[in-house]
Amino acid sequence: MAILKVGILSCSGEECLGGTISRLATRKVLEEMKMVDTVTLCLPLYNAGGKEERNFASVFPTISVDGCDKLCAKRSTEKYSGRINGSIDVSKIIGNENALNTKIIRNNDLKEEHYRMVDEVAGEIVKAISDLEPNSYAGKTFRGCGCGD
Amino acid sequence: MAEKYVILPCNGLDKCAGLVTRELALKLHERWDSEIICPVFYRVSEAKYNKLAAERPLLVIDGCPTRCASKLAVEKNLKVARRIIVADEAKKHRIGLNDGLRITDLERRFIDDLFEELNKIEETVRPASENEAVSYNFDYETIQNRKFIFRIPKNGEVFFNENDCWAWVNGNRARIGVTDYVQQNLSDILYFYPPEVGDEIDQFGESGSIESSKAVFELVSPFSGKVVAINDKLATNPELINENPYELGWIAELELTDPEGDKELLIGFERYIEITQKKVEDADVK
Repeated sequence: MAILKVGILSCSGEECLGGTISRLATRKVLEEMKMVDTVTLCLPLYNAGGKEERNFASVFPTISVDGCDKLCAKRSTEKYSGRINGSIDVSKIIGNENALNTKIIRNNDLKEEHYRMVDEVAGEIVKAISDLEPNSYAGKTFRGCGCGD
Repeated sequence: MAEKYVILPCNGLDKCAGLVTRELALKLHERWDSEIICPVFYRVSEAKYNKLAAERPLLVIDGCPTRCASKLAVEKNLKVARRIIVADEAKKHRIGLNDGLRITDLERRFIDDLFEELNKIEETVRPASENEAVSYNFDYETIQNRKFIFRIPKNGEVFFNENDCWAWVNGNRARIGVTDYVQQNLSDILYFYPPEVGDEIDQFGESGSIESSKAVFELVSPFSGKVVAINDKLATNPELINENPYELGWIAELELTDPEGDKELLIGFERYIEITQKKVEDADVK
């Protein structure tokens, strides 16, 4: 079966640079790299019980992008939608020290080196999407209305 | 100087409005020295944020009407001191946020405007009369229908509209809320969506809503005026409206614009009790 759609569930982290890089990299994949049939899932909405988000991740291959090793996005996906198809831990790409930087969070504060990090993480997301196996739907089941009941 | 809030943005990542919540929160963090609650990490580890929220007033910033941050606040039993819904603010400013996930110059200016407005509200809003030892001294008349008893205050300073909302006038201010008839029809009230402090509300304009498992009820303001306070206890205890919709369950407090003019279009106790009596008989509330 060909991959029809892929969801990216990104950390919306507010505490450190890793969250900012996650968001920007996800946006870059969607807007600039224009990966076909890739959509972003809103993690706060997903956690708040968003039916469409949870249902999508239950049915379609989904990749989590986390800013730090707390892995909020990955854990939430596994908790509410079952198996995850790919997981990016930004701290492993840009280093723990960078990921946990609490001084630079706003987009306005980012320098060239941070945008290089964004590019690198975006590249890893694209690679994770490209590596998806045709059987990525295996184990994913439609959950009716998505409420999980 | 603005109060040091703790800010709970929705941090949404599928609409531009969500991105605006984050940028506004970060701006407030920088300028007001406010702390930010990460809505995602809060679900994983709540001890740190519970302590923060207990120490400071909470400002909730939602991107879209789904109100994920507000729901999280309710879930965590946090009292909301102020709430902003970016999509609603954009409508008020007649701004069309972009469809993508990008903050453009338009959104940056919008964020600056929101920030300035919040600053102005902080400077101009006076304390709610809640802090001035409010004493209602209401006398109640009752209407009984089967096992239900509807209470209606019969004081001269209490006015009603035909939308089953009341207002208690105290000087140039009025507290507004829903009547006993509304709360009993709705049954257990689960959610409270107040107007925003600083909102200018027309007479008979919408001024918040409440929701039960049965329906959503939009409060129709008996008076025109500026919202100077909301009953923030309702954010975590909306059932206070069921308990006593006139005293504990007041919704908002207005600084009145044209009290005498507005009164001409309102009804007093005697007329309202007639109307309620008829509604009760027609509906045969069970």
